[in-house]
This record gives sequence, structure tokens and C-alpha cells, in this order.
Amino acid sequence: MSFINQILPKITRSTVATENDAAGATGFTLKPVYQLSQTPEAWTLVAQLPGVTKEGLEVTAEDGLVTIKGRRAWQQPEGWTSLYRESYDSPYALTLQHDNTVDAGQIQAELKDGLLRVSLPKAAALKPRKITVN
Amino acid sequence: MNRLLQYTYPRRAYFNRSALGGLETELGRLFDSALADLAPIARSPRFAVDLYADKDNTYVRAELPGVNRDAISVEMADGYLNIGATRQVQDESVALNRSIAIPESVQADKVTAAYENGVLTVTLPKQEQAKPRKINITVN
Repeated sequence: MSFINQILPKITRSTVATENDAAGATGFTLKPVYQLSQTPEAWTLVAQLPGVTKEGLEVTAEDGLVTIKGRRAWQQPEGWTSLYRESYDSPYALTLQHDNTVDAGQIQAELKDGLLRVSLPKAAALKPRKITVN
Repeated sequence: MNRLLQYTYPRRAYFNRSALGGLETELGRLFDSALADLAPIARSPRFAVDLYADKDNTYVRAELPGVNRDAISVEMADGYLNIGATRQVQDESVALNRSIAIPESVQADKVTAAYENGVLTVTLPKQEQAKPRKINITVN
């Protein structure tokens, strides 16, 4: 099933809102564009959250899950008429499962210009280790 | 670790679409996503743009998170607004470009732009004669 998910992710897309607490009135959230990379020490997550400020951002780590929720700060001013919209007003939500391979106490996050960089240090057991041979 | 390494296409909010619809149709996105796994989405040179207007100005808001501030270029030519930026994605520089048709004629020398929280807002003041004006008509 996951192989099919990779080729045609649309098949598994649900039409009902599944995110609840982060969502606004409509209950929908948006999954941000994100990238994951790794170094021997940690995983790095870079997520694009345009319009989100530190006040609207929430990064939590619990139970083997890393959850990112972001709300946009900007409201459309009264006199403005929207002529053409491509962006969405819904809040962002992203959940990543790590199954305890990440050291949750050492996670660091930085938000700059709408780009969130999270450094997820690998749990000690996963780091490459040299084994001495007797 | 399949979960951490899976790239997925941003999921859209289905019922928040504007009346004009997006530029992409379902089928377009289906094809894009089939090919998307070959090139991560974060490298895509496309970005979302919103157009607003009030009686004095036309506004363009572009979602450009994480681009180099100094590298953002905003140019006005022939009724088109050209926005360019570069983004660093893992040692690679991605160039973003978009040309937007502005519906009203613009006072080109009074255009201003601000980049905040990853969103670029360009304010284009309308030409004086393009502003809505009441015209009194006397009928004889």
C-alpha cells in the first residue's frame, strides 16, 4: 500500500478533515511543503510556512511523534477585495513519526522568514559507532 | 524509517477554493504528484500569488518563504509585475520567477514592496484616472 501511496498519493487522500485542534472554523489544515535530510548526528526538517510567526507556531514532541502547527498572522484588511487567490487561509499542520529514534529533549527549531528549520538529533543508539575488535 | 523519508505533496483545503478556482486542475496535480517523487517539491520553482485591490491600490501577495531577502527582485513592465527570488535548498540555488498581469494601470514610480514572515506584499497605486470616481450626470 505504501508503494502505491508513493506513486499515486491521491488515492489515499481523504475528503474529510482529520486534523482537529489546530484547525480554524472550517476544520481544514494544510500540509506544508517540507524536506527531510540527515547527517550522521541528526535529521533536519525544513518546512515552508509562509505567513506564520513565532506566536502562531507550535512545535511539540511526544510519544514518538513530532507535530508542527502554524497559524498565519495576517488578516485581509477591510477595504481589500480579493481578485485572485492561490494561497489558503487554513493553518498548517504536519506530523512526523519517529518511533523514538529522535532524542526529544534536544530538538531545536528556528523560524525565519516563513521557513522553519528543525534539528532532530538522533537517539544515541542510532549514531554510527565504531566497534573495537580485540 | 519509511515514514520520515516519505515526500508528499501539500494537501489542499478543499472547500477554501476561491470562486475563480486555481490554475491547476485535479488532473494536473495528479500528474504533477506522480512525477513529484522524482524531484522533491521544495525545489519547485512555483509559488502562490494572491491579487487584491482596494480603491487606491492593487496588492500582490506572494508566498516566498525562506528566500534571500537581498535577492528578491520586483519589476514592473508593460502592465506585468515580475517577481524573482532565489532560495537555497541544500546547497542548491533554486530560482523562482513569476509574471503577473496587473488589472489596473499603475503609477510605476510609487510601487512599494515589503517582505515579512515569508510573504512578499507589493503595493501598486492605481493611476489617478483609474480610481473609481462618481460622475454626476444631469439629464435634460
